Amino acid sequence: MPAKNKLEEKIENLHASLESIKARDEIIGYILRDPKSASVDIKDPSKIIDYAVLSSTVLDSGEYMTSTFELGKVNHIVIEGGDVKVLSLTTGDHRISVFMSKNVDHDAICKSLRLK
Amino acid sequence: MSKDMYTTALKNTLTEIKKICPDINYSFIFTKDGAIIAGDGEADDTLMKKAVHSFQSLAEKAVAIGGLDALSINGEKGKLHISRINDMYLVVTTSPNADTTYLHSVTNVIVPTVLKLLENIAPTPLKSMPMPSQQLVVDTITGFFAGDNVQIDDTHLKEWSQQLDGKDVNEVEIETIGGKKTRCGVKKISDPKQQGKGLVLMPEKTCRALEAKKGELVKVKPIES
Repeated sequence: MPAKNKLEEKIENLHASLESIKARDEIIGYILRDPKSASVDIKDPSKIIDYAVLSSTVLDSGEYMTSTFELGKVNHIVIEGGDVKVLSLTTGDHRISVFMSKNVDHDAICKSLRLK
Repeated sequence: MSKDMYTTALKNTLTEIKKICPDINYSFIFTKDGAIIAGDGEADDTLMKKAVHSFQSLAEKAVAIGGLDALSINGEKGKLHISRINDMYLVVTTSPNADTTYLHSVTNVIVPTVLKLLENIAPTPLKSMPMPSQQLVVDTITGFFAGDNVQIDDTHLKEWSQQLDGKDVNEVEIETIGGKKTRCGVKKISDPKQQGKGLVLMPEKTCRALEAKKGELVKVKPIES
């Protein structure tokens, strides 16, 4: 079915984009979730649980605040901590969070994930 | 300087910022412990409280990335930006096409300057100490004399009392990992065998209300009387 193929191709592209983004030194890792599964690739495995909880909270809080202030559909959310920055976005039913150093241009990463 | 004057100074600052950045829809300032200090008058209390509550639950999880210095949401109909300024957070929502670089250059200069000025004129009356809390393991109290109070080690009660300027702690808030909360009276653990084990002894009905099981970790926070 062409529609299914297109969707599968889109998901494959998304995985490929994330892999190429993750190859960069300043990228700490990513979490990609859909309703049925999750791909987690974090360079420091001891942080996987904390990052997974944070990723989910970022998207939930972001959606909550967006509806509170009537900001429309969320394009992307960025949070900055003391040493790490997180870019979170939703594409289709996929929720993505990319963890990176604070000096990374998250707009460029966001663009590369959206274009695929 | 009184708290009212401090608030007025910050409110006027936000109003002036809005005049030079007309893309701003709402702006307000809150402290690290969630107290809303000043708003530009556009956002109502409920709106601000909802945002602060949501931000604080996110801040708790953001310990994993070294705290929460800033949050930006880019939405189709608008943007939201929360940035930390010393011990406070500035919230700004704008139209979708707002020039955020310009906006940040204005807010990141004016607000810290005003805050510093206010600090120098008079020590701020706004900062409150964060309420202490303790992670404890649930155990149940059963029997006819179980009562409604929970029991914790006397050392915690004394420590909290000291941190609260000698005020007695008669009530606590208990929060489970699942986010369920309840308030109840508190007493020191009466059974010497249960003391010093990091336990919170709870009547069964409190456990049921919180859906907390024996052995589970909960957060216990004193409530100032």
